[in-house]
Amino acid sequence: MSEPGFAERLPPSRRVETGAWVSGLTYDRTGRTLGVACGDGRVWCIDTTNDSPPSPPEPAHRGVSLSIIANPSGDSFISGGDDGRLLRHGDAARELESFKGRWFERLAGHTKTATLAAVAGKEIVVYGASGRRVLGPHPSTVADIDFSPDGSRLVAAHYGGVTIHVLKPADAAPRSLEWKGSHVAVRYSPDARFIATGTQDNALHVWRLATGKDMQMSGYPVKVKQLAWSHDARFLFGTATSLFTGWPFAGKGPEGKPPIQFGDEGAGIMTAIAAHAADSFIAAGFDTGEVQVGDSKTRRSAVIKLAGDGQVSALAWSPGGWSLAVGTDQGVVELIDLRR
Amino acid sequence: MSQVPVTVLTGYLGAGKTTLLNRILTENHGRKYAVVINEFGELGIDNDIVVGTDEEIFEMNNGCICCTVRGDLIRVIGGLAKRPGTLDGIIVETTGLADPGPVAQTFFQDDEVRTRTRLDAIVTVVDARHFLLHVDDGVEAREQAAFADVILLNKTDLVSPEELARVEARLRQINPYARLHRTQKSAVALAEILGRHAFDLKRILEIEPDFLEQGHHHLHDHDHEHCDDPTHDHHHDSHHHHLENIGSISLTSDKPIDEQKFQRWISTILREFGTDIFRSKGILDISGASKKYVFQGVHMMMDGDWGNLWKDGESRMSKLVFIGRKLDAEQLRRGFAACATR
Repeated sequence: MSEPGFAERLPPSRRVETGAWVSGLTYDRTGRTLGVACGDGRVWCIDTTNDSPPSPPEPAHRGVSLSIIANPSGDSFISGGDDGRLLRHGDAARELESFKGRWFERLAGHTKTATLAAVAGKEIVVYGASGRRVLGPHPSTVADIDFSPDGSRLVAAHYGGVTIHVLKPADAAPRSLEWKGSHVAVRYSPDARFIATGTQDNALHVWRLATGKDMQMSGYPVKVKQLAWSHDARFLFGTATSLFTGWPFAGKGPEGKPPIQFGDEGAGIMTAIAAHAADSFIAAGFDTGEVQVGDSKTRRSAVIKLAGDGQVSALAWSPGGWSLAVGTDQGVVELIDLRR
Repeated sequence: MSQVPVTVLTGYLGAGKTTLLNRILTENHGRKYAVVINEFGELGIDNDIVVGTDEEIFEMNNGCICCTVRGDLIRVIGGLAKRPGTLDGIIVETTGLADPGPVAQTFFQDDEVRTRTRLDAIVTVVDARHFLLHVDDGVEAREQAAFADVILLNKTDLVSPEELARVEARLRQINPYARLHRTQKSAVALAEILGRHAFDLKRILEIEPDFLEQGHHHLHDHDHEHCDDPTHDHHHDSHHHHLENIGSISLTSDKPIDEQKFQRWISTILREFGTDIFRSKGILDISGASKKYVFQGVHMMMDGDWGNLWKDGESRMSKLVFIGRKLDAEQLRRGFAACATR
């Protein structure tokens, strides 16, 4: 870090100050607009093709905007709030759901099947080609959801394990995979062979779907709140470490093998992670505000944002993979151009 | 990062928790609180935030009861942290039958909750008229009294002075160390329940330099003997009752304590008996140290740190308090005595 001229070697970036905790950010499907959900209820739609500073929008949620995804069946975004509302943004925001007393904290979208899923307490509301469905109730509030790569299934993480819902055919029974404890994050592997969770017990838990056999990777200093599979499903990364730590899932799987580790020491504890959709890059944000991009193939990494601005709370790759958006708990958004 | 103080409000159904919450929410105190309740009730909301949640008790995979946390609280606190501006406090109301353990443990166990908030105090509202009826038919009423830093002995207008004295004696038998306020209609100065810093190691001594000798010492010692001896049990039913008995033990030493021996001993005690030890607190004279060592715990979770300097002329006594169920006084006494420097 003491290298002279280090800051000059950072990729060019654009900074927007929203003034409130960034609880989620995502590009729309064209990559032209960045949607940012903030702690003051605002949902910013930032034009990425135009450098002029955006003016603050009116708050969309009465409370905190907790979550945001690209609309899986059109332009713009879907956002959820602690006001119990699920909104579809566009020229004017439209209310999709209103559940008094529930929080829309987790959303998932699957573009190919144009399906939207939103957690509302112990239930999940799903909008798909065949209309609206409600899944659950689950044994506890659902902590996270993820679509299978082909969009045929939706996995829900909750207390005591995960539930895999079959979306098509709609009458198929869900499958439960049990592991005691509270599961706070869930991700399907891109090859659909595994489901991984982060747990309140400071561990990762992974089920092999063909056999239902599971494995546990423990020893994290804090709970693993975000997970990322490398695009080729060869490595599973999680937050809560100081280095990129990837468990090898190629071939026979990670049993008995150590994880790969790389990165720059001293960045802090990883608080956000996001995998590139088409290449071996992984972006990681830290509690110091630093952001690094690592390569699971070469096991090298580079700092692309220096520490500062609070802890990194959200990361998103643009659809083309040339730009990375960073959000922090102090309301700073940086759009980092990685084309160089 | 400033940590938002959290007050946990417990008490049997109908004891007056909702009345107290309404007082907090409607009083013109100029502060901003968030209140976490089990469901939406008739609450006056002005400047404050009211969040309704289902109590979700999550055990860890290791099955240890002492690692049990409130999953819904972790979520709610994570959400509240995202709001702009700083809250002056969060008040968590528990259901009438709740074990205060998981709520308290959430503030030790979960890293994020620990970063954003600090447990300020456990406040238990007790119905003076019904406490003696409830206290023996389930463990909840006793546990809630045992965990308390502050007890509101409420509805005192509905009982005779003799009844009130009996209730108070029973409360003191369970928990001699909590601050006790006699109230009617939950009327109490908010400063007596909010901003207590009861869990703040650095402040324990500043606020309550004599927290272990608040004049209840006497009563407590006596009651303790009572607990220990089944023949003194006034409830004829019962061996079972005796075994389940909740009480307190205080230990003192005028010999300096060996730090390593103490750490080994206390961690063994909390590991083995943490399920039955609800609260522990202590101030220690560690041999060779110029500062007081203060610690406190909830079940197996424990925090310890160096506090103030011993003053010139101050008697360097070490004091320890355990509140819990089936405490083995003799074993604890022997174990603690063995921590003294030889």
